[in-house]
Amino acid sequence: MKPVSPDESMRGAAAGGDLTAAHQSYFGQPVLKRPHWDWKVVAYLFIGGIMGGSGILAALADGSRDKADRTLARSSRYLSLSLAAISPVMLIAHLGRPERFHHMLRIFKLKSVMSMGVWGLLLFSNVALVNAAHQLAEDGKAPRAFRALPRAAVGLMQAGLGAFMAGYTGVLLSATAIPLWAKGKRHIPAISVCSSVASACAANAIVLALVGGPARTISKLERLEFVAACAEAVLLLHFRRHAGESGEAMFSGHLGQSLRNFTLIGGLALPMAHNGMAFAPLRPTQHGLRTILVSALTLMGGYVFRYVLIEAGKASADDPQLALRPPQ
Amino acid sequence: MAKGFFTDTTLCIGCKACEVACKQWNQLPAEEYEFSAKSYDNTMQLSGTTWRHVKFIERTTAEDGVPASRWLMMSDVCKHCTHAGCLEACPTGAIIRNEFDDVYVQPDVCNGCGYCVPSCPFGVIDMVAQAAVPSVGPAAGDRDCGSLASGGVEGDESVLQRPSGIAAKCTLCYDRQNIAMTPACAKACPTESIQFGDVDDLKARAKERVTELRTRGVKGYLYGVDETTSVGDLNAFFLLTEPSEAYNLPAKPVLPSTHQPAGYAAAAAAAAVLALAGIAIFWVAPSGPGAA
Repeated sequence: MKPVSPDESMRGAAAGGDLTAAHQSYFGQPVLKRPHWDWKVVAYLFIGGIMGGSGILAALADGSRDKADRTLARSSRYLSLSLAAISPVMLIAHLGRPERFHHMLRIFKLKSVMSMGVWGLLLFSNVALVNAAHQLAEDGKAPRAFRALPRAAVGLMQAGLGAFMAGYTGVLLSATAIPLWAKGKRHIPAISVCSSVASACAANAIVLALVGGPARTISKLERLEFVAACAEAVLLLHFRRHAGESGEAMFSGHLGQSLRNFTLIGGLALPMAHNGMAFAPLRPTQHGLRTILVSALTLMGGYVFRYVLIEAGKASADDPQLALRPPQ
Repeated sequence: MAKGFFTDTTLCIGCKACEVACKQWNQLPAEEYEFSAKSYDNTMQLSGTTWRHVKFIERTTAEDGVPASRWLMMSDVCKHCTHAGCLEACPTGAIIRNEFDDVYVQPDVCNGCGYCVPSCPFGVIDMVAQAAVPSVGPAAGDRDCGSLASGGVEGDESVLQRPSGIAAKCTLCYDRQNIAMTPACAKACPTESIQFGDVDDLKARAKERVTELRTRGVKGYLYGVDETTSVGDLNAFFLLTEPSEAYNLPAKPVLPSTHQPAGYAAAAAAAAVLALAGIAIFWVAPSGPGAA
């Protein structure tokens, strides 16, 4: 039998086939299936981002020589642990069979981002618990024995795992066949990290403003938030150009409108205009209410970004043309 | 020994016996009838409860100025990829490669996280919604899935009722293969458009078929054989006569996990940049006028 190599000219329209426009898919039927993920997954991404970002802030505040940053160390550790308690609730609630959540703990699978994320969350929660226990002991609300816990090493672990928690959700989305997410295989993870850090800065600024924390530390948070928001805005705008057709669902239509109004303008540009002042040598004095309002805008922007990302991903899955020619 | 399907679309007559046989054997519920007005296809796609699906692709051509129309019929199925996106994505280990080299979802392990669904480059695997599954057995009428599962008789679940809230797709009739039976679709196919067997044998047979068709002037090719894509060869492969896009199959499918290195690297780079910024702001820079 003589071997027959596949006739390359037959393989696909892209390779020189002669399909007319009307025949380039099966009745325009979607090639891919939409994920069933709803607001619970959006909330999981959002909460996990603040949680992870707070883990990074805890290490930064802990390592600072500035005594004022103690309050941030406290707020970020407590916030991180509180969110680590809510996060798995969202994760479990989104499952089709929540009572089988523990099946994810049967195996450790490097190839599955979902598996890595579950183990990352488990590790992070434990580390966050140790750090919060240390903080409780420092605050005199827990036995002094907890102060013997290895503080620096565990703090560093929380920061590292926090960065993972902030970024892995982006990798999770991009390691799928969904055209929008696959196209953003570099952008989406990087934007997730930036958005998570900005949101964590905002959330901790709110806590500090509420408890009357030091203006100096709030100002530092604003500066870091400014840097993260700048990076996020640049990456988002670059992603819009890079994504082209695959990005239509995300950057145009009603989802694009939401992204522009609530994330790019409301959640990034406005807070940046305010937080940029934190770099100025002569800036206005801190105002608690203003800090809270601006931080709330950043949080809104972070949530809407994730909402739009998930919903636009689903919409892009419905376009057979994108799925038939996946980015290689 | 790898077992699989060779689906020869040139032999398909669109009888849908494969669809029906699959539903019967696997106790899958019928789809809600919906008139699609798209040829003779009202099912339209593979789903969590449709594991074989016959596509009716209509072609109109002008031969010597006379308009002519013809059908391309194709019985679609899970491809049982060499490198399967769903299998790699599964965090519970519910999706396995079984002893027949086929990709199998263990219904009692899957917890319905849904990550396999967007991870299939062919859009095959799908969730079975809890409400969408009517009970099959007479005893299951007034029992919901949860109470059945918590009742501790998980084994009975498949008898009384299709499991729901989990992902599902073609099992390549794992249960039938275990007792040396041919999968239901291949058994029911009246034209041998669907052939079941050792994948190596099927590939040899398929290549002969392509050669034979060419001598008759039909240009066909194999989809899923000697592939160079990241998905690799397909244990359920096809003989097609038109560009793959006409059948809603990507010419060059991509294994989603290949995006991971770039993704992790980008996330790490962003985290490193922000960590440095954080260090500069919190540890290095003077505390600013507010400190005074």
